[in-house]
Amino acid sequence: MFEVPWSEYSTDLWEGLLKTVSYTVAGFAGAALLGLAVALLRLSTLKALRIPALIYTELFKNVPLLAVIFLTYFGLGSVGLKLDAFQAGTLSLVLFYAAYLSEIFRSAINGVHNGQQEAASALGLGKLSTFRKVVFPQAMRLALPGTNTMLVDLLKSTSLLVTISAAELMSQGRLITSATFRALEVYLVIAAIYFVLCYPLSQGLLWLERRIHAGVPLSPTRRRRLRAARELLEVPA
Amino acid sequence: MTEVLAQHDVLTISGLSKSFHGRLVLDDVSLAVRQATITAIIGSSGGGKTTLLRCLNLLERPDSGTIAVDGAPIFADGAVCTDLPKLRRSVGMVFQRFNLFPHLTAIENVMLAPLDAGVPEQEALERAVTLLRRVRLAHRATAYPEQMSGGEQQRVAIARALALRPSVLLFDEPTSSLDPESTGEVLLVMRELAATGITMVLVTHELAFAREVADHVVFVDAGKITEEGAPAQVLTNPRSPRTREFLTHFTREGGS
Repeated sequence: MFEVPWSEYSTDLWEGLLKTVSYTVAGFAGAALLGLAVALLRLSTLKALRIPALIYTELFKNVPLLAVIFLTYFGLGSVGLKLDAFQAGTLSLVLFYAAYLSEIFRSAINGVHNGQQEAASALGLGKLSTFRKVVFPQAMRLALPGTNTMLVDLLKSTSLLVTISAAELMSQGRLITSATFRALEVYLVIAAIYFVLCYPLSQGLLWLERRIHAGVPLSPTRRRRLRAARELLEVPA
Repeated sequence: MTEVLAQHDVLTISGLSKSFHGRLVLDDVSLAVRQATITAIIGSSGGGKTTLLRCLNLLERPDSGTIAVDGAPIFADGAVCTDLPKLRRSVGMVFQRFNLFPHLTAIENVMLAPLDAGVPEQEALERAVTLLRRVRLAHRATAYPEQMSGGEQQRVAIARALALRPSVLLFDEPTSSLDPESTGEVLLVMRELAATGITMVLVTHELAFAREVADHVVFVDAGKITEEGAPAQVLTNPRSPRTREFLTHFTREGGS
C-alpha cells in the first residue's frame, strides 16, 4: 500500500508543518489581541463603540472562513491591494477567529462577579488596575476552555489555506498527490500529522487548565511572592 | 468617654439624600463619627442602613448633601470632590459577602492594595503577615478563598481592608452570611480591633455585639435617623416608638 517515496518528500512535509505552525501562531496571537479589543469595545458604555464592534462580530461569525480567505487574497488583489498568501491567510484567520474569541472574552468578563469590581474600587484601585489585577485574571480563567477549543480549531482551519496555495501541510499534500497519484496514502499521512499536532496541543491545554484551576501560580512574580511569604511565615511572631 | 468626646470628627455627613428609581432611600441624613469610636447602624432591612454606609466611601453617590472625611469635603453640591482612590485608601470596607479575590491566595488578597498604592514588595509582605497573624490566619496565608470557611474569608477580608491603614473601617453586615461559629470568630476579631482605637462604622443585626462594643448606636428607619445615642439608651430605653417596635421584633425572633 505504501508506495510513495516519503524520504524524497520529507523536506516538503517539514516545511509545510512549519508553515502550518506559523499560520497558527500568527493567526491566534492576532485573533486573541483583536478579539480582546473587540470584547472591550462591546462592553463599552458608549454606543458609538459598541455598535461597530457588534457589527464586526456578527459579520465574521456568519460568513464562512473560505469566503474570507478568497476575499482577502483574490478580492483585495483585484482592487490593487495585493497581499501574498501568508499575509492574506494570516489576516483571514485573525479576522475570522477574533469574532469568535471576542464572544468568549466578552462573556468571560461579564462572568466576573460585580462584587469583585466593587471590592477593588473600595480598596482604592483605579479602573485600569481593577481590570488588570482583578477582572482580567479571573476572566482569563473563565475564557480558557473556549479559547483552547478555538486554538485547536484554528490550527485545523489552516488547512483551508490550500485554496490559496499557502505552502502549509495541506498544500504540500496536494503537491505530493499530484506528483504520485496516491491520494489515499498521502492524505492519510497528512491527516495523521494534523492529529499528532492537535492531540498533544489540546491535551496540553487541558493540563494547563487543570493546573490553573488547582491554583498553581503561573507567573514568576506570584511564585516568588508566595515563596517569600512562606519563608516569612516560618519565622515566629 | 470625656476623652473620646474631645476627639475630632473623622466623618461628618449633613443633609444626605439619595433615591433609587424615584424611591427615597436616604432622606436628609446627618451624622458625625468621632475618631476612635465605634458607631453601629441598626434598623430593619431596606431602611437605608447599607446605602448610608456605602455613601461613606462613595461606592454609592448621594443625590445631595455633604460628606467630609477628616474635615475635608469629599462630596458636596451633588458632586464628588476628591480623588476616589485616595479616599478609599483612607476608608476601608468589609462586605457582607466578603468579596475576596478568588484567583489570589489570602496573603495576596491582603497585599494587592498596598502593592497597587506603591508600597514596596517586602513591606507589603511584612504588613500582610502581621495582619494575618492579627486575625489569626497566618497558617492559611497561602490558601485560596474557596478553600476557606466563611469566617476565615471574612477575617481575611478584614485584614485586606486594614492593609492600607485606613482612618475609618466600614463594615456592611459582616456576619450576616455566616453560621454562628464563624460569626463568633469574626466578632472576636472585630472586638479586638475595636480595642485598638480604630474608628469603625458598622451596619449590623448583631444587637448584643452593638451593645457591647459600640460607643454610639444609630437607628435608621425609612431613610431617616430615627434615634441615636449611647447603646444603653437606644437599645435599652429607646425614646422613639419605632425603635421600640423594632427591638421588640428582635427579642421575639430571638435575634438578640
